[in-house]
Amino acid sequence: MSVLLNRETRVLVQGITGRAGRVQTKWMLEYGTNIVAGVTPGKGGEEVEGVPVYDTVAEAVAKQDAEASVFFVPPPAVKETALQTIDAGIRLIVVVTEHVPVHDVMEIREYASDREVQIIGPTSPGVITVGEAKMGIMPGNMFTPGHIGVISRSGTLSYEISINLATGGLGQSTVVGIGADPVVFTNMPELLRLFENDPDTELVVIVGEVGGMQEEKAAEFIDRWMTKPVVAYIAGHNAPEGKRMGHAGAIIQGDYGRGTPQSKMAALREVGVDVAKYPAEVCELVQKHLICP
Amino acid sequence: MKLYEFEGSELFRREGIPVPNYTLAASPQEAREKAQELGLPVVVKAQVLTGGRWLAGGVQIAQSLDYVEKSASRILGLSIKGLPVQQVMVTQKVETAREFYLGVTVDEYHGTPVAILSAKGGVSVNKIARDRPDSVVSRPVSITKGLLPSEARQMCREVGLSGKELTQVAGILSALYHVFRNYDALVAEINPLVRTPQRSYLALDAKVEIDDSSLYRHPDLHLSLKERIPNPLERKGRQIGVTYVELDGDIAIIASGAGLGMASMDIISRRMRPANFLETGGAITADLLYKVMDLVLQKEGIRAVFINVYGGINPIQEGAKGVVRYMQEHGVTIPVVAKALGNRQEETWEIFKKHGVKVVTDVSTEKGVEQLAHLLEGGT
Repeated sequence: MSVLLNRETRVLVQGITGRAGRVQTKWMLEYGTNIVAGVTPGKGGEEVEGVPVYDTVAEAVAKQDAEASVFFVPPPAVKETALQTIDAGIRLIVVVTEHVPVHDVMEIREYASDREVQIIGPTSPGVITVGEAKMGIMPGNMFTPGHIGVISRSGTLSYEISINLATGGLGQSTVVGIGADPVVFTNMPELLRLFENDPDTELVVIVGEVGGMQEEKAAEFIDRWMTKPVVAYIAGHNAPEGKRMGHAGAIIQGDYGRGTPQSKMAALREVGVDVAKYPAEVCELVQKHLICP
Repeated sequence: MKLYEFEGSELFRREGIPVPNYTLAASPQEAREKAQELGLPVVVKAQVLTGGRWLAGGVQIAQSLDYVEKSASRILGLSIKGLPVQQVMVTQKVETAREFYLGVTVDEYHGTPVAILSAKGGVSVNKIARDRPDSVVSRPVSITKGLLPSEARQMCREVGLSGKELTQVAGILSALYHVFRNYDALVAEINPLVRTPQRSYLALDAKVEIDDSSLYRHPDLHLSLKERIPNPLERKGRQIGVTYVELDGDIAIIASGAGLGMASMDIISRRMRPANFLETGGAITADLLYKVMDLVLQKEGIRAVFINVYGGINPIQEGAKGVVRYMQEHGVTIPVVAKALGNRQEETWEIFKKHGVKVVTDVSTEKGVEQLAHLLEGGT
């Protein structure tokens, strides 16, 4: 068991014939992902790493019964690709693409809101159900199978936290990079709900950063609904106000007095979440919960 | 990307939002000439990409041409929040009977546009919302339907407007929504919108921020992000395709992701002071890291470089080649510590080690920073 995907999930790769699409398809296959089809308009009939390529999503779904899709398409193509993919009945979409216009993200989000689809991203490193399958660019050797769920706004920090957990003998069930943009398709509380309901997950680690309201909203959800323990780390204590720290979402809006690492840590601590000051401390805090709960 | 007031005003005009007549001037003499054409009195306003212009003395009302020249001269010599004023906007001075606040922005968490209206303008909307919550209404907008005229009118009713004022302000709010939508804005704000004693409506300020990721579809705006970054090193970072933020310490940081870069900053700050935040994103090549080394070492007084990279989408062995080539060519003698993990990590470590870079094979950034501190204290 796990959340979002497993070794049986029939995965489609969009933008499979591009440079990133090809390399990542190879690595996803090597990891064990059940990739059944690729789509690149105009490249139907080709093969990439033995995977058949189609011109449209509808065709890939009809011929290969694809149910999940990972995007390696350029930013201007994301909107149209997403709408097409939703219409084809795909139930899980992972958007790795960075720099997708925020208005496009909002349009896709609204279109998806009354349909049966879960979209992760944009600017997501992907989703990995450890030891089974991955959709995205996460390097497989950073993860160890186990029972910790990880929800991260940052790709590289999800790797750092996961290998640190492993050195403390703690593996991961599923690791989800929600995406680093100011507007993402799936917010932290929705993923907390999935982990809460996953019998294979014992504890959830949240990796947050400056900016936005994700961690504050996660705290509200935890207070009301979570029975499993949660441990958190928030990056960017020293981020200067008003400066974007690489991630479009990581900007402290001084005049709102929210979105600072301090406000996030306070909100989480108030609902009983152990908050690590530095990444390596996450492992100690998780151990404390699992060894003497 | 934030727009200057005059650029925002231009977008307002295009969408039919009335603004006072204005011109731009880059010298006191030019300001005087422009004021003469416009007719006195005028307002002389600093054009800078930050708020707080009034407090900094960047907005002056002038009743005479001599005073126009004098205030333009003073404002053009100002630096507001570190940003030098290079142009002033000279606008007609408008009589005010009533002020409103109108805004459209993104509710990031819910992922929808949100329209905001207040019958009290002039000060910051956050302050209005805090002090007089009943005088502010906000409403999420369906991005596929847009802000319907009936919705805009409903908002006007909720803040107590009626009659002609209701339809006028609602019309301007709809037009502001079009600015937001047509130009991929993250923020479009009029503060204040004024009603003159003659019952005409004018936007006296224009605050517009456009989504950087959408600039490719607005070539007609002729906006270049690079030209708007005042810090020379940050501008250079943008030119080579990385995010660089200058800080006030002396330990340079190079990270392959924003989260990792921020965590590195947090850890280094416990006992040392970071000189910068630098994030390469997923496009590392030997050439890129060569340029990145050059960039972080341009800052005076750097004592050490801390490299923290993951091989996920990035070929870190290529990055290592660029770093060591830079070190050889420029005779870098300060400590360089590298933590590099992921695909092809052993190969990367070899390249670093052979050229005197201290390699951290431990998986935690904390351990890497400890080694860095140890080296700086004279250890090996």
